[in-house]
Amino acid sequence: MTILVLVETVLLAVLTVLVAGLLRAYGSVLRRLHALDSGGADGPRQFDLLPVPAARRQADADFGPAHDISGETLDGEVVSARVVDVEHDTLLLFLSSGCATCENFWAELGRPGAIQLPRSTRLLVVPQGAADESPADLAALAPAGLDVILSSEAWRDYEVPGSPHVVYVDGASGRIRGEGTGQSLQQVSELLARATGDVGFLAGEPAPKSARDRSQEISVDRELLAAGILPGDPRLYGDEP
Amino acid sequence: MTRTVAGRPSSTVAAHGLQVALPPRWEARLFLRDALGERGSSVNPVVHLGNFALPPGRGDFGSGAVEVMQAGHAFVALLEYAATEAGTALFAAKGLPRLALSDFAPNALQRRLPGQLGVQRFFTENGRAFCLYVVLGSARGAEQLLDEVHSVLDNVAVSAR
Repeated sequence: MTILVLVETVLLAVLTVLVAGLLRAYGSVLRRLHALDSGGADGPRQFDLLPVPAARRQADADFGPAHDISGETLDGEVVSARVVDVEHDTLLLFLSSGCATCENFWAELGRPGAIQLPRSTRLLVVPQGAADESPADLAALAPAGLDVILSSEAWRDYEVPGSPHVVYVDGASGRIRGEGTGQSLQQVSELLARATGDVGFLAGEPAPKSARDRSQEISVDRELLAAGILPGDPRLYGDEP
Repeated sequence: MTRTVAGRPSSTVAAHGLQVALPPRWEARLFLRDALGERGSSVNPVVHLGNFALPPGRGDFGSGAVEVMQAGHAFVALLEYAATEAGTALFAAKGLPRLALSDFAPNALQRRLPGQLGVQRFFTENGRAFCLYVVLGSARGAEQLLDEVHSVLDNVAVSAR
C-alpha cells in the first residue's frame, strides 16, 4: 500500500512538472505571436490608445490636448471645425497627395462603405495647406463627400511627424486618446477597434438598443477584440454551415 | 483666421468682407455660392454657423445639416444677395436683426423637420443685402438656444464692399 502511494506521489509530481512546462511554453508562444502581430516595440510608430472609455479621465495625464481645426476646403470654403469641448469625437486623418502609403487611404476612402465610425464620431481628412500641398492633386484624390480641410496649422498643432498619421480625439475632454500610423485605413480601423474596445470602427454605428443590451454588447465586443476576434472572423460562426 | 486651441474661448473666421468670432462649441463654414435672385449676377458669400459638427456638402439654407441636428442644436445661415438688392423693399430693414422667440415657427423652415423651429429675415448692412435664416433644434430649451444664437450674431461684422 505504501509503495502504491509513493508511486502515485511520484506520478503526480511528474505530471505537475509537465503541466508547468507546457504552460510556460504556451506563454512563450503567445508572447512571440503578440510580437509578430504588431505588438513589437520595433518598426514604425504604431497606434497607442487607452484601453477603454472608462479610463478617459486618467487619459488626461497621459495624452496631450487636442486642437480645433482651422483651414480651407478644396472648394475654398473657410472652415473652423470644433474638435475640443464638443459632444462628438473626431478621427483626424493627416494625409498627403504625394506619399505612397497615403494612396491606400485615399483609395479606401473612395470605396463605398469603407468608412465605418462609431456613433458620434466625425472624420476629418487634413492635408497641409495650399502653400505646402498641391490642391489640384488632392482634388483628384479626394472622393466626393469627404470632409477635407487643408491646414498646415493643424499639422503644427498636432506635431504630425509625417503622413499618413491618424489622431483620435475625445471631444468631451478635448484630449487626444490615441495617435499613430498604419499601412491602410482598414489596419488603422482594426487598431482603433482593438485599442478602444469599440467595434464601431469596424462595423459602424449600431442600431438603437436598450442601455442594458448596449452595455452588454460593448462588454462582449471588448472581450472578443481582446482575444483578437474581429467582425467577420470565422470563429464567430463556429463550424455550422 | 485665428488659430484655435483647447482652452481658448473662441476662434474667428473671416473672408469676403464678413467676420465672425465664434463662442465655444460653435463652428463656422464660409463659402461663395452662385448669385440668388433675378437681379445681379455676382457670386456672393454664405456663412453657416452651428453648435454641432457641420457636415460637408450642405445646401445654402442648411440642407444636409439640419437633418443631423439634435434638440440642443442651433443652425444659422447668413446669405448675401446681389448688391443691387440692398435697400429694396425686401431688404429694407437696417442692420442684423435681433430675434425674438415668438418669431420662430415650424412653417418658417426651408425643410420642415419634427420639433424644429425656424425664422427668416432680410436686411441690409453696410450697403449689402442679406438673408438671415436660423433653425432651432427644439422648442424645449429654445430660449437658451436663442441666447446662444445671439451670442454668435453679436460677433458678426459686415464690412462695406
